[in-house]
Amino acid sequence: MTAVSVPSYFVWLIFILPYVGTLAAPLTGKGKVRDIAAVFFPFLSAIFALYLLIPVLQGDTISLFNSIIPTSVPWIPELGINFGVLSDPYTVIIANLVAWISLLVMVYSVDYMKGDSGLTRYWFFMSFFIGSMQLIVLSDNLLGLFIGWEGVGLCSYALIGYYYHDEKENWVGTPGSKALGEEQAYPPSHAGMKAFFMTRVGDLAMLAGMLILFVFSGTFSYHALATSTAWATSLAAAGLLVPVALLIFGGAIGKSAQFPLQEWLPDAMAGPAPVSALIHAATMVNAGVVLVARIGPIFYFAMAANPALIQPFFMVVAWIGAFTAFLAATQAMVGFELKKLLAYSTVSQIGYMMLALGLAGLSTNFAEGLSAGLFQLISHAIFKAALFLMAGVLIHLTGTKYINEMGGLKDKLKITFAVFLIAAAALSGIPPLSGFWSKDAILATAWGSGQYGLFLVGSATAGLTAFYAFRMFGLVFYGLREKPDHEAPGHGLKEPSPLSWVPYSVLGAGTVVIGILGFFNLGGFLQASSVTYIYSLFTGALFGGLSPASQFNFVSSLVTLGFVVIGLLVSIQLYVRRKVSPSSIVKDSGFVHGLYTFLENRWYVNAVYYKVFVNAPLRASYWTFDNFEIGVLEKVNNGVRALALWFSAGGNWFDRNVVDEAADGGARVGQALSRTFRRLQTGILEQYALVLAIGLIILLLLFLLLSGVYVAI
Amino acid sequence: MDYILAAVVVLGAAALGAPVLQTAERRFRIGAYASMAALALAIVMVAANTVNGGISTVPYFGNLLVSDPLGDIFALVVLSVTLAVAVASFYSSPNGPNIPSYYSLLVFSALGMVLLSYSADLLMLFVAWELMSLPTYVLAGFDKKRVQSNEAAAKYAILGALSSAIILYAISLTYGVTGTTQISGVVARLALEPFNPLVSVAILLFVVGFGFKMSIVPFHMWVPDAYEGSPPAIATLFATATKKAGFVAAIRVVLVIATVYALAPNSVFTLANVLAVLAVITMTLGNVAALTQKSMTRLLAYSSIAQAGYILVGFSIFAYSQQTGAFAYNGLLGLTGSIFHVVNHAIMKGAAFLAAMVVLTQLKRGDLGAYNGLAKRMPITAFTLAVSFLALAGVPPLNGFWSKLLLFVSVINTPLAWVAVAAILNSAFSLGYYFWVIKRMYLDPGESTERVKEPLWSVVLFAVLVGLMIGIGLFPQQFISLASSAASSVIP
Repeated sequence: MTAVSVPSYFVWLIFILPYVGTLAAPLTGKGKVRDIAAVFFPFLSAIFALYLLIPVLQGDTISLFNSIIPTSVPWIPELGINFGVLSDPYTVIIANLVAWISLLVMVYSVDYMKGDSGLTRYWFFMSFFIGSMQLIVLSDNLLGLFIGWEGVGLCSYALIGYYYHDEKENWVGTPGSKALGEEQAYPPSHAGMKAFFMTRVGDLAMLAGMLILFVFSGTFSYHALATSTAWATSLAAAGLLVPVALLIFGGAIGKSAQFPLQEWLPDAMAGPAPVSALIHAATMVNAGVVLVARIGPIFYFAMAANPALIQPFFMVVAWIGAFTAFLAATQAMVGFELKKLLAYSTVSQIGYMMLALGLAGLSTNFAEGLSAGLFQLISHAIFKAALFLMAGVLIHLTGTKYINEMGGLKDKLKITFAVFLIAAAALSGIPPLSGFWSKDAILATAWGSGQYGLFLVGSATAGLTAFYAFRMFGLVFYGLREKPDHEAPGHGLKEPSPLSWVPYSVLGAGTVVIGILGFFNLGGFLQASSVTYIYSLFTGALFGGLSPASQFNFVSSLVTLGFVVIGLLVSIQLYVRRKVSPSSIVKDSGFVHGLYTFLENRWYVNAVYYKVFVNAPLRASYWTFDNFEIGVLEKVNNGVRALALWFSAGGNWFDRNVVDEAADGGARVGQALSRTFRRLQTGILEQYALVLAIGLIILLLLFLLLSGVYVAI
Repeated sequence: MDYILAAVVVLGAAALGAPVLQTAERRFRIGAYASMAALALAIVMVAANTVNGGISTVPYFGNLLVSDPLGDIFALVVLSVTLAVAVASFYSSPNGPNIPSYYSLLVFSALGMVLLSYSADLLMLFVAWELMSLPTYVLAGFDKKRVQSNEAAAKYAILGALSSAIILYAISLTYGVTGTTQISGVVARLALEPFNPLVSVAILLFVVGFGFKMSIVPFHMWVPDAYEGSPPAIATLFATATKKAGFVAAIRVVLVIATVYALAPNSVFTLANVLAVLAVITMTLGNVAALTQKSMTRLLAYSSIAQAGYILVGFSIFAYSQQTGAFAYNGLLGLTGSIFHVVNHAIMKGAAFLAAMVVLTQLKRGDLGAYNGLAKRMPITAFTLAVSFLALAGVPPLNGFWSKLLLFVSVINTPLAWVAVAAILNSAFSLGYYFWVIKRMYLDPGESTERVKEPLWSVVLFAVLVGLMIGIGLFPQQFISLASSAASSVIP
C-alpha cells in the first residue's frame, strides 16, 4: 500500500464542473450545443473521479497536495469553520458511482427528453443536482454536506414537478382513488411540494442536531469531531449525545425516505423517468446513507466511553431500516404502476442499507456493517437505475404506466427483456448477481452479531423482494397484451434508440460484473476500503476492533436463499407461467382482499399524514388569523367598550357636575374627527392603538408582578 | 468622523435644496438628481469613514454623536436602501405635482436615520427619530388621490406619534433618574444604581417605543396596513430602512443600558426574558399570519414582522450574557448575528419588495394570483423574488442562512435554548408560504404567458441584489467580521 499524491483541485473539480455545467445550460441557446454541454461537464467530472478511483482499486491511499485550490480553505473564520474535501477510498468509490451513473443518465436523457420545451430547465437542474450530490459526498464537514443537501432537495423538488402543467397523464397514482377520504393521486407539482416538505421535516431535525453538535464541539469537520472526544463527554453529561445523534439521523430518514418519512418517494415518481433513475433511485436517496456513514463512526467512537449509549442509537437505525425494508416491500407486492412499484422497492432496498449501518454499531467490527451498506448502495444504485431507465422506455413505448396493461413484450424487446431479467434477478438477490452478495453481506453481519430478530425481518423481506421483482417482470414481459394498438403514433413496439438502451445495458453489465467480482472477494475489498476510511477519519488506529476480514455465513445465506426461492416460485407460478389467476385469489378470499386494499393504500399512513399534517395546520392558520389577528381585536374592543360604559355609568354624575360646557365643545370636535377616521376602516385604527397600549400595560403589569418591586414597595 | 459630518451636510443641503432647485421646467428633474447624487455621495463618505479608521468610540460634536462600526453599518444600510428607493421612484413614477418635495422628504428621512445611527445622546436620538419619522408620514400618504394611501398615512402618523410620545416619556424618566441625556453618562450613572423601578419602566417604554418601528408583536398592527397602503417604493423604505432604525436605536439605548443595569432584582423578569418572549411571539405570529395572506404586500409585511423576531433573538442572548456575566461569547455572537441579519434582511426584503413593486406597476395587480406563472412573463423579477424568498427562509448557501445560523448557534446550550427551538421551527414553517409563492411563479399556469416588460432600472437593481444575496452567501467572512466589530463596540 503506497500513498499516491494527487493535486487537491482534482477533487474540487469533481463537484465544481457540474456546477459550471449548470451555468452552461441557459447560456448555450436551445440547440445541440446545449445538449452536448449538458453531457460534457458531467463527463469531465467523471474523468477526474476515475483518476482518483484507479489508485483506490490498486489498494493505494491518496494523499492530496495543495495545488491551485488547497485541500481545505478557511470559510467562516469567526466560527472556526473550514471547508475541505475528502479523498479516502470510501468517498472515492461513492463519488465514482454518482459520477458515472449521472453520466449515463445524462446520455439517456438526450434521447428521452428530446424536443421537450423545458429542456434548458431540465439540464440546469440535473447539472445542479450532480454538483450538489458530489458536494455531499466530497465535503469534509457537516456544513458543506448540508449545503449540498439543500441543493439536491431543491433540484428534486423542481424535477419532480418538471411536468408542471399537471396534465393527467403525468399524475402519479390513479386519479379518483381515495383512502380515508383523502385523494391518493397527485399532480407533479403537488408531488414536488410534498417531497420538499416531507424531507424538510428531516432536514430540520438534522439542522437542529448539527447546531447542537456545533455548539458543544465548535466544529463541523468530521476529522475534528472524530479526533476529539471532549464534546462527546459534555454532550453525554447533558444527556444529549443520543438525542443529537438521532436528530441528525432524522435528516437521513427524510432524504432516504425511511419510515416514518417514506411517503414522499412513491409520489416523487411524477417526474421524468431519468430523474427517478438518477435522483430517486441511484443517488440522492442514498445521501442519507452517506450521512450515516459519516456520523456513524464518529458517534460510535464518541459513545465508546459510555457503551450503554451505543445500543439505543444503532438499534434505532437498524430497526428503522429493517422495518422500512419490510413495509415498503409489502407495498411493492400490490398495485400496477410500474414506477411507483420501483419506488417502493427503492425505499425497501435503502432500508437494507440503513439496517447495515445500524448493524455496524451493534457488531464488534464496525467496518463490516459499513462496508455491507456500501456494497448494497453500489449494487442497488446500478440495478435500480437500470430498472428505472427501462421503465421510462417501457412507459414511453406502450403508452401506459400500468404493468397489467403491458404484458407480452418478451419477444418484441429482446435487449430490454434481457437487461430487465438481470436487474430483477439482482434485485431479488439471486446468486451470483450483485444484489445477492450485498444482501448476503448485510444478513451475515446481522447473524454474526447475534441480531436474529433483525436477521429474520431482513431475510423474510428478501423473499417478498423476489416475489415482487418477478411479479413486475412477469406482468411486463409475459402473457398477452390486452390493448395491442394504442401505442403513440410513430413508435412501434421495437427496441428504442441506442442512446436509450446502451445506458441501461451498461448498467446491466455492471450488475453482472459486480456479481462476478463477488466471487473474487469484492466484499473484502470494500471492507478494507471502509477500514482505511475510518482510519483516515480518526488518524490511525484510534478506532479499535476493525478488521478487513469479512465473514461468509453459510447458515444465513441458506436461510435467505430459502425465502428467495419461495418468493420466486410463487411469483413465477402466478405471473410468468400464469398457472393461477392472482385476481381470482384476491376476489375469492375476504382476508386477501382486505390485505390487498390495506397494502395498496400504503398501510393508510399517507392518508393519515394528509389528515393530520396538511389539512389540520391549514385550518389552524386560518383559525389563528381569523380569531387572533382579527377576532380577538373585535372582542377586546367590545370588552373595552363595555368596560368603558360600566365606568361611565359610575362616573356619570362626575361627568354631569364637573365637566363644563367647554369640554363638551372639545368632545364634539373629537367625535367628529373620530367619525372621520373610523369611516376609514371600521375603527381599526383605535384597535391598533389599543393593542399597542395593552401590550405596554401587560409589560408593565408583568414587571410589577414578576420583578419583585411590588413586594419591595 | 469628519466624513460623517460631511455626509450630514451633503444630505441636509440636498434635502433643503431639492424643492428649491426645481424650476417650473419639469423636464430637467434636478431635485431628484441632486437627491440621488447626495445619497450616493453620503454612502461614499460613510464608507470612507469605515475604511479610513475614523473610528473612535469617543463622542464628539458636542457629545451628541459617536463614530463606531455599528453606526457605519446601519448608516450604510439605510443610505443604500434609500438610494435604491429613490432610483425606483425616479423611474416608476417620474411625474407628479409634488415630486421635488418627495425627494426632499426622502432625503430628510435618510438624514434622520443616519443621525440616529450615530446618536450618542438621548435627545439627539429623539430629534433624529422624529426627523426620520415625520417625512415618512407624509410619504406614506403621497398618493393623495388614493384612499388607502391616505388611510395608511393617517394610521401610521397617529400610531407613530403615540410611539414617539412613549419614547419621549422614557427619555424624561431616564433624565429624571440620572440627570443626563448623554448615553454614556446614563450608563455610568446607572452602573452605580442598584435598582430603581423608574429606570426599569423607562427601559420597558423604550422597548415599546422602538418596538413600534421594529414591528414587534403586539406593536406591529400598523405594519400590514401601512405597507399595503403606501406607495410601493415607500413600503420598501419602511420595511428595509426605518425598521432598521428601530433596531439601531434599541441597540444604542436598551442594549447599552442592559450592559450595566438589570431590569429587575430577580432572574424572572429580566430584559433577556422579555426580549426572548417578544421574539418568539413576533416570529410565530408573523409566520402564521403570513401563510393565509392573499396580497403580496401583506405577505411581505408579515414575513417582515417574523424576521424582526429572529433579530430579537440575538438581542436577548446579548442582554442575558451582559446581565449574568455568563455566556459572553454567545452574547457577542448573537448580537453579531442580529446585526448581520439586519444587513441581510435589508437586502433580501429590499429585493422582494422591489420585485413586488415591479409586478404591481407592470401588471396593476398585487394579489397572489398575479404571481401565477410569473416566471414565464417576468423571468428576471420572478427569479429575484425566488432567490430572495429562499434567502429569507434561510436556505443555504444564501446570505440569510448565515445570519440565522449565527443567531441559532448563539442561543443553543444557553438557558435561552427554547428560543432556538422556536426559531428553528418557525424557520421551517415559514418555508410554507415562501415556497407557495415560488410554486405559483414557476409551476402554476398564469393567465397569460406573454412577456411583460421589465424596466431596465429594475433589472440592474435586481442584478445587484441577487449578486449580493449569493455573493454574501458564498463569502460571508468580511460581513461577519464587520458585524462582529460592530457588536463588540456596543459594550462600553
